[in-house]
Amino acid sequence: MANPRALDKRRKSIRNIKKITRTMELIATARFKKAMDRAAAATAYTDRITQVVADLAMAGLEVSHPLLEEHADVKSSALLVLTANRGLCGGYNGNVIRMAARLRTELMELTPEFVMDVTGKRGISGFKFRDIELNQTFLQFDDQPAFADVEQIADVYLQQYIAGELDRLDVVYTQFHSIARQTATVETLLPMGSLVDAPEATAESRAKSLYEFVPSATSILEEVVPTSFKVKLFKCFLDSAVSEQIARMVAMKSATENANEMIKNLSMTYNRARQSKITGEIMEVIGGVEALEG
Amino acid sequence: MSEAKKTGLQVVVVTPEQTALDVPVDFVALPLVDGELGILKDHAPTIGRLGFGEMRVRHENKTDRYYVDGGFVQIADNVVSVLTGFALPVEDLKADEIRYRLEEAESKTDAKGAAAALRRQIVDQCKAQLRMLEKA
Repeated sequence: MANPRALDKRRKSIRNIKKITRTMELIATARFKKAMDRAAAATAYTDRITQVVADLAMAGLEVSHPLLEEHADVKSSALLVLTANRGLCGGYNGNVIRMAARLRTELMELTPEFVMDVTGKRGISGFKFRDIELNQTFLQFDDQPAFADVEQIADVYLQQYIAGELDRLDVVYTQFHSIARQTATVETLLPMGSLVDAPEATAESRAKSLYEFVPSATSILEEVVPTSFKVKLFKCFLDSAVSEQIARMVAMKSATENANEMIKNLSMTYNRARQSKITGEIMEVIGGVEALEG
Repeated sequence: MSEAKKTGLQVVVVTPEQTALDVPVDFVALPLVDGELGILKDHAPTIGRLGFGEMRVRHENKTDRYYVDGGFVQIADNVVSVLTGFALPVEDLKADEIRYRLEEAESKTDAKGAAAALRRQIVDQCKAQLRMLEKA
């Protein structure tokens, strides 16, 4: 029979762990709300940029920019993988790392020059474990990625792409669909393809477009395209941050529930063990008395 | 937005991280790439490219000054939407930090190509910020 004292000790330690996981769940919830607000703020920006591009297209301006064009010969590619700095968030990091490793094999076959950049401690150690060489690593992104930091990374890619040193950029990250659904996704950010599904400029829309462009539509376009790229990349970071918090929230919630279940079972075993011990002791006493009487 | 109807003009400053400002105003002056643009009520619909510099917002005889870091402005229906990397009230600019950044950028004289462009951009940004501080 199990030792009641050992059972009680185990129950206590589970209770302590439960306290920790419960707190982590609450922290993740608070962080998730903050991250979500930021993502919403970024959407306001994206919407307006899209509006500007649509207005440009309506004015009959041909949208062309080196970033939108595919390079004829795709020789070098880069893969940016967004993972978290911390674990304890279920399959969040694992899914992204697995997907990136698969994509890496594909891209290595397609392009002779291939580099891989990773953000987040978990990703870095995950690839190290798999003996995969990394080009750049970043650790500065947490639950609230700063636009300035993302911009720096984006600038490097943009310059490489325009200079012809980079022909393709893919990003692996966890896309946020809804609170209940986040999936690891690959997105090809360079070449950018079309900016928006802008309606075709017709003579009518051209006449309707009232906008005056200062200093010129071309000059604005020159700025719009890199900005949309940066915002797209920023959106990936924000999505990752939001998804990470949700993943941690869910993982910690089930951990807490599991702990509850375990405590319940242990309590039952503990009570039984205690009772049978008492019964055993009573039997001994009775047995002793009977032996004396007999 | 109901207030906008009274005063006539609304200015909205949006950065990728937040909506920095959303207020009714009487007058806005914006730094475009090729000079300043002043906007009053019923301005013609315009899309403009912003430079680095000072945005002045006047409302009820009170003028607020902000530093805006490039981007765009879209003016339509008496709403001035400013899209920029970041916007800071002039009081929040830190002279020491800016000078340090400027010196650091200026010392990189051997930069070529992309790095040189970035260096030039930092120098422009810092100089615009310092100019604003000197005026204050």
